[in-house]
Amino acid sequence: MTRLGKLAAGLTVIVASLTLAGCGNDDSNDGNTAPKTIEVTFKGDTVTPNGERVEVTHGHDVTLHVTADAPGEIHVHSTPEQELEYDAGETTLTITDLDQPGVVDVESHTLDKVIVQLEVR
Amino acid sequence: MSGDSLWAHGIGGAKDLPIPPQLAIAGAVAALTVSFTVLAVAWRTPRFDESAGRPAPRLATLADSAVLRVAARVFGLAVFGWAMFAAVAGKDVLINPFFGMFYVWLWVGIVPLSLVFGPFYKAVSPVRTINLLFARLSGSDPEAGLFHYPERLGHWPAALGLYAFVWMELVFPSGTELGPLRLWFAGYVGLMLVGGALFGGRFYESADPFEVYSTLVGHLSPWGRSDDGALVVRTPLANLARVPARPGLVGVVGVMFGSTAFDSFKDSSVWLKHIQGSSVSPVLQNNLMLLAFCTAVALVFSVATASTGVHMHQRRTALPALFGHSMVPIIVGYIFAHYLSYLVEQGQLTLIQTSDPLTTGANYLGTGNLAVSYWLSYHPTLLATTKVLAVVIGHVLGVIAAHDRSVTLLPKRHQLTGQLPLLFAMVGFTVSGLYLLFAA
Repeated sequence: MTRLGKLAAGLTVIVASLTLAGCGNDDSNDGNTAPKTIEVTFKGDTVTPNGERVEVTHGHDVTLHVTADAPGEIHVHSTPEQELEYDAGETTLTITDLDQPGVVDVESHTLDKVIVQLEVR
Repeated sequence: MSGDSLWAHGIGGAKDLPIPPQLAIAGAVAALTVSFTVLAVAWRTPRFDESAGRPAPRLATLADSAVLRVAARVFGLAVFGWAMFAAVAGKDVLINPFFGMFYVWLWVGIVPLSLVFGPFYKAVSPVRTINLLFARLSGSDPEAGLFHYPERLGHWPAALGLYAFVWMELVFPSGTELGPLRLWFAGYVGLMLVGGALFGGRFYESADPFEVYSTLVGHLSPWGRSDDGALVVRTPLANLARVPARPGLVGVVGVMFGSTAFDSFKDSSVWLKHIQGSSVSPVLQNNLMLLAFCTAVALVFSVATASTGVHMHQRRTALPALFGHSMVPIIVGYIFAHYLSYLVEQGQLTLIQTSDPLTTGANYLGTGNLAVSYWLSYHPTLLATTKVLAVVIGHVLGVIAAHDRSVTLLPKRHQLTGQLPLLFAMVGFTVSGLYLLFAA
């Protein structure tokens, strides 16, 4: 039983340290609140950026500055989901309502590719 | 509105944030420390393999009562019928509840329900119920088939079935279109009814992927059966030691852990960039990767369990299955971490959608006006800590279960060294799992 006791004590320490480790990093990024603009270029069946991660602050809109050689559609897999359309040439799109923390895929419906993954913090 | 195309991405909107690095490291260190502490200070005589459990006659009267049994069957059949209604008569749009019932309720919901109630799917299984009704009509015994189930097959058919499920969910590009999903499910029901007719109840116990999955997880509940079938209460670890070491158990373990890890990996920026920049078909690459993940887990586990000194009469090839149960808590911890917010949030969404199976704006069940609570997602630190705790607790239980089995099986002088390879493998699984939660 003492061995089990030791184990239990060890576990308690670990649980406590985990909880502490988890509490250290709360909401520390309220400072950099500059609105984010992402340049998106469609050419043929390629898109840049190509699946990059971009950190954004929750509650702030993200602007997509799209340059494309053909019109198309972008899906934003936020909760709830958003659909944005762009024309050939230059289009400026805004992703709104990024309130919920999480990873949001911004996907080209036309190419079936993820353009960026927004890490909403 | 191109509703169905949204599904090309899979079910659900935003995904969890990666867990913070310091939490991942703390979890990994905890896993490592506990593993070697267990090895160094733990008991040297088996504690769980011999545990008979405490009889619970009152509870048994309730649990085995005809009323509860029939109620469970009616519940299972009702949910199944409703899902079929949506699948057959509903539209191929993202709000058809069949998708959520299949991918969220059935696949993930089965885990907490089995943890709380034991072998939950067995009690509600619609394929068992239909088999039972057929048997009633023809006046035969539903438990007896025409043939004996070939025991050499063990859980292999279930491992294949589980693989077919994760393939549908993670690889197949049209996995969220109604037609293919309906076909998959029809295939499942058809095979289960034929199997049940041929081999009786033993078939479901061995080969029904959802029942095998649920019953395995149910071994972590406190509810067990004694050898004569009476309901007993045991500690979850003693219950876990009762998992039968059948052929194919390692396959099931490999698919469950490997596919969950692949699901994390698939969403990582690294894999995304690679697969989108490559000229090789993404579907082919995902296919190969899923297979590689599942096979690697099964192989690493098998080699690690077999790398020990054994008694003269002990066949080394039997060891992986004899240790298979020790992976169950690790899998459950990891699945819990991976799917927690998905289950809570998409599970609620599915409940709302079930009121409108035909997408006509109806509110048949009165759940249509409920709103999803995203409370969990709005507390990312709490969510991340819970996830890491689940992984670490699962790991600790797994290591204890493996230690106890080593003490039972291995000769005295190999008990310490014989456990080491498996211990390293388990630490490897847990650290990889944490790394994927951090990196994906």
